Amino acid sequence: MTWRQFQAAQRLATIGDRFLSYVDQGAGNPVILLHGIPTWGYLWHGVLPTLAERHRVLVPDLLGFGYSDRSDRFDRSIAVQADAIERWMIELRVESATVVGHDIGGGVALRLATLAPRRVSRLCLIDTVCYDSWPSEMLLPLGRPESSRKLSAPGAVRLLRRALADGFASHPDPDLLDGLVAPYATEVGKLSLIRNVAALNTNHTTELTPHLPQIAVPTFILWGEDDRFQPVRYAERLANDIPGARLYRVERARHFVMFDRPDEVRRRLRGFLDIDVEARAA
Amino acid sequence: MLGFGRRHAVGEHEADGEIERVYHEIRQTLRVTGVTLNLRALAAYGPLLPALWDALRPNLDTRAFEDAADRVRAEAVGAAARIGRLDAVGGLGLGESQHRQIQMALDLYHYVNPKLLVLTALARLGFDGGAVETRRGRAAAVELIDRGVPGTMYPMEMVEEGPADPEVRALFDDIQRTLARPAVNSDYRTLALWPGYLAAVWSRLKPILARQEYEWAAQGLGDTARALARDLPYPVPLTRERVTALGVDAETVDERLAEFERLLPKLALNVALFALDWTPAAALARSPFPVERRRFEADGGRR
Repeated sequence: MTWRQFQAAQRLATIGDRFLSYVDQGAGNPVILLHGIPTWGYLWHGVLPTLAERHRVLVPDLLGFGYSDRSDRFDRSIAVQADAIERWMIELRVESATVVGHDIGGGVALRLATLAPRRVSRLCLIDTVCYDSWPSEMLLPLGRPESSRKLSAPGAVRLLRRALADGFASHPDPDLLDGLVAPYATEVGKLSLIRNVAALNTNHTTELTPHLPQIAVPTFILWGEDDRFQPVRYAERLANDIPGARLYRVERARHFVMFDRPDEVRRRLRGFLDIDVEARAA
Repeated sequence: MLGFGRRHAVGEHEADGEIERVYHEIRQTLRVTGVTLNLRALAAYGPLLPALWDALRPNLDTRAFEDAADRVRAEAVGAAARIGRLDAVGGLGLGESQHRQIQMALDLYHYVNPKLLVLTALARLGFDGGAVETRRGRAAAVELIDRGVPGTMYPMEMVEEGPADPEVRALFDDIQRTLARPAVNSDYRTLALWPGYLAAVWSRLKPILARQEYEWAAQGLGDTARALARDLPYPVPLTRERVTALGVDAETVDERLAEFERLLPKLALNVALFALDWTPAAALARSPFPVERRRFEADGGRR
């Protein structure tokens, strides 16, 4: 699936003055896939068809990301994102869902699981931000207001491509990188990305630490063993702090584990998600 | 003296000093998410845009100005409805989000183009010496409107001027060639975010551009804008002498403003034609972003 095809599959929901684009495919128990920074829903295009065979898979672009609202007049912190996702679920009449989060999407998932637990029936964390694991030193300079003057949109895209490439264990497909950075290739996209970076706030996960032991839903932690952005030691901490959480380390994989080891990630994710389906069938 | 040869328009991210101040004022006063290409082009000439803006601004946050733009917009919709719908949307394979975002983008330009047309007409009146040093008496009870961008207005996002996508590049070449323009206008660059859509509307619009009724409709919009600009309450103290004193060539400023005044009625008409595919004419004739009323005394209330 190309990024253009993915974009054409997106629907749109309104949340107050903001709008959120999302893909909604398949039928069954709802599964929400949350991307991180600096990507968008397209991150999940490789796992979407497999999961949609047995589930209703919902893939939003977080506010300020991808093809959701990117105007320069709202907060993009993961606290706001979690509220927006909850409001979006209400709009879609999704009472609760399996929430799968990557990178800051995992931070959003953690906020939902701890602060709005009725919305989360299962939790899957993939190379996610947590505790004080973030923001990455590499991204921080981009969040300064003057970046919008210093950096052209094509310059920002070049920077992003380089940064993203470091999250792969092997050379990423150039078309894939084009797709991941496509929404940020305009001045509005660049500025939105800058604001997204400016909104990265460690406190929004450190404040969750006391709540992690109260997470009562099945939790699966999937992590690229060689992740340089979110080192695997954080996965171990999460596995210790969340009751019953199961950790699976993906070998020879970095941050973008779904591209480094696509078959394995699909299989593991499906295994976690299908427990419900199989239990019901039994 | 600054000649008025084609210079590189100043992007919003490139602006600093006085231009940055004026860009912020443009967004807040015109209630729009971005600065369109024609104003960015004027910014390339140093002190010209700040002087022009400061001369025009007292009129631009008045109810009279907003109403004038509303009337131009309604007239553009009427003319577009007479020309007929383009029917460009069917079969494009656009998704729901793309549909809605194109509509939001059209709302943005449907709102701002008539304002820019009245603004340009006003600038030319001032420049021609027809505006309005005598108007101060009329401004006794001028109603001002709220500043600030409407919360749901789409960002003025646009494809870069030299796009990498060959399909978009070919479209831009065709648009520039057909319209004999030195650059592709903001509207088209925004619609190029959805290349299939831009290709469809452009292919249907292109033959219409040569029709007499289209030309007459555009001329009518220009005439209306000029007539309405004459009735705005505040004087426009930007004369040829003042421009010359700024070190800018007055003749070429006049030419450029005249060029914008010819172009903008067509842009307003085009956007109305595009938007008719999505919205009935009656709804389209109303402002997509109606503004709250506020009353101020003319002099005491001015900020």
